[in-house]
Amino acid sequence: MNVNGLSGLNELLNELLSLLSMQHFLQNQVSIPLIQPIIDLLLSMPFVGYLVALILWKPMFALLIFPGLGTLMAVLLFIIWFERKLTARIQWRKGPVEILRQAGGVIQALADGMRYFFQEVIVHRDAHKPYFLQFPILIFIPVLLPLLFIPAGSIVGIESPYSLAIAVALISLIPVFIVAIGWASNSRYAYIGTIREAFMYFAYEIPFILAVISMILLYGTADMVEIVEKQNIPGIFLNPVAAFIFFLTTVMATSRLPFEIPEADQEIAFGPFVEYSGIMFGLVMTITYEKMYILALLMSVLFLGGGNGPDIPLLGNLSGVLWLFVKAMAIMVLLSFLRSIYARLRLDQALRLSWNTLMKISLLSLAIGIVANIAFGLGW
Amino acid sequence: MEEIVLDVPVQPPTELFLPVPKKFLEDAYKGDDYLVLVGPQHPGSGHMRIILRIKGDVIVEAIPDPGYVHRSMEKLAETRLYIQNIPLFERPAIMDTGNVTLGYVRAMEKALDVEVPERAKYIRVILAELSRIGTHLYDAGILAVFLGHTTGFMWPFALREPIVEAITRISGARITSSFIIPGGIRRDVPWNVLEFVRKTTFVLERRLKSFEKIFIKNPTVIERLKEVGVLSREEAIRFGLVGPFLRASGVEYDLRAVEPYEVYDSLNWEIPVSDEGDSYSRFLVRVEEISQSISIIRQAVNELRRIPEGKVISEDILQEYAEVASADIRGFFFRVFGELTLPLGEFTSLTEASRGTLLYSIISDGESNVPYRARVITPGWYYLKGFMEALRGERLADLQAIYGSFGYFPPEADR
Repeated sequence: MNVNGLSGLNELLNELLSLLSMQHFLQNQVSIPLIQPIIDLLLSMPFVGYLVALILWKPMFALLIFPGLGTLMAVLLFIIWFERKLTARIQWRKGPVEILRQAGGVIQALADGMRYFFQEVIVHRDAHKPYFLQFPILIFIPVLLPLLFIPAGSIVGIESPYSLAIAVALISLIPVFIVAIGWASNSRYAYIGTIREAFMYFAYEIPFILAVISMILLYGTADMVEIVEKQNIPGIFLNPVAAFIFFLTTVMATSRLPFEIPEADQEIAFGPFVEYSGIMFGLVMTITYEKMYILALLMSVLFLGGGNGPDIPLLGNLSGVLWLFVKAMAIMVLLSFLRSIYARLRLDQALRLSWNTLMKISLLSLAIGIVANIAFGLGW
Repeated sequence: MEEIVLDVPVQPPTELFLPVPKKFLEDAYKGDDYLVLVGPQHPGSGHMRIILRIKGDVIVEAIPDPGYVHRSMEKLAETRLYIQNIPLFERPAIMDTGNVTLGYVRAMEKALDVEVPERAKYIRVILAELSRIGTHLYDAGILAVFLGHTTGFMWPFALREPIVEAITRISGARITSSFIIPGGIRRDVPWNVLEFVRKTTFVLERRLKSFEKIFIKNPTVIERLKEVGVLSREEAIRFGLVGPFLRASGVEYDLRAVEPYEVYDSLNWEIPVSDEGDSYSRFLVRVEEISQSISIIRQAVNELRRIPEGKVISEDILQEYAEVASADIRGFFFRVFGELTLPLGEFTSLTEASRGTLLYSIISDGESNVPYRARVITPGWYYLKGFMEALRGERLADLQAIYGSFGYFPPEADR
């Protein structure tokens, strides 16, 4: 090895080290004026400082805090509790109250999760054991990855001109995993549930993608950061038809009533997930809520202006985070309402609705998207 | 004495046994069809197994496997006093307490040939109609949860609470009141309680309006129930449907009108009938019956205003205790009824229970104080055949909708 090669390696190593250095993280840091003194104090400490700088590095912040893992967990905790509490209020009941009475039982889902941890995971004789145990964990890949592409103000994990397309493609992978879960379960009800899931998947996916494409045509870009920037008027006013389809297909995709068909617990006893127990059931049960969170974020980016909103100087970069969070939560709360209002439709009725009516309206939304792009001069 | 040990090991079945012809299973496995066993541990089946043969998504054949909650009530009745059988026969359908006890007591009264005081008759009708409303609300709740509508499940159950409270104030027990006894009722009901019952009907009426908005007129509910599980008029008669399910198929047959018992002939009420014969009409007929029952209760309370308090048990039954116990049997119950013996013969009564015709048949040997043989046929058992026929040709998801529309209650059918 000659000297030149060695120096080349050295340069590469130096570059890598500079990427991992604290200075590199600090260049692209989340600024929060409200707690800046505390951050400064922490940054001055030897080891903690590095960790804090890493966490506050914008891509890492998107991955770990918002819209990534931390918020996802908090939202899961909250929305399960909120849905139960809201349903209970409508049904003249009290809902969860015993665990942390002072806060109205808000950590009920956490307690349930802990209980799941200590329950036995039963793998029945007929199951395909490796897949049966793998898929509920592997499904977190398509669930968590789209979160990286969603911009919250200036905080975004990965910027790409194809970010919307990638996010939608990853979300479309989730039902494939659910079908695989049903296949690995190898039971009669799981089989029926899997077939229902597959039917529903085809039924909602096409109007859903058409609605997304109509928004791409409207904004003239598939980069979510640009899409948010271009929304002086929120997209819901530019293309209300696409917003309606997106909302309805979100309801279908997350198995909310009246389209809770693949999981129909009174008919096929949780369909693909019928054989799961213990923490595995806990994991598969939360899939739809996680999907709901992603789709709510995507909907607020596409139709409600994402992180746009009145700037709050004290929060700095977190201002956009706050607005995106509020919008996404509003959509999730709206979705929670459906549970206590509607009965479950039959599979063929849901299919007729989506292949017939929704398909027609989604084609209309495509046309609206093109017209609105020209009319508002949003350009390409 | 030497103890005799029975040392025969029990051999439980090693494989799942299905009480269907072998050919049925073989045909299903050879062809495109597949079998789905719904129940008995299924969230939407109750204590019954339904063996379904399915082609694609359509039910080709449905075979019931009932009997999981069979408690051999008819045989148990042979070892108990006539009067002890009242709470026993109440058990099959505990929501329907008024009607099921009324049927048994009327069979006994037929045998003893006693005339019931008019006041007792009206109070019995009130109790029977309260139970009818309670049962219909219970069934509406089960139908709702089968369709995934949890609000439609919780509201009727909450609505049952005023009814349960009314039954408590009348009889002292929330569910199993055992209030109706041969010759009358256990004790007279004071005026303020009757007034409470009348006010309860107004509460029910008001609350039912909001229930109508959220569930009965809900578009998704109508979509699920309309034109599902249709039984024509001829089919309904051929398969032996009873009660509201027969009336939903266009047959105007109600035992309260055909063979009036108690005071049903002196009250004004209508028989709700529908011609469609689908699941939705089976549900609507029962909803309409609730409002008819409310009207019957109000009329009965009004009639009770003019009948003086104090005499609710027949003198033929009380005999020497007639003076002390005619308004309240407490303290004299087993002195009066302990040695009750029915004359020789077979005595049958037909009652219109909430879910349909309820038949009691008692055979007495004329000397013992227990029945020689007692026969109960509950409405659930009568319409099980029609229920299974309604499933044929429908989709798998419709199983729960049809199940709920029939309000099939396995403990009632199995007895």
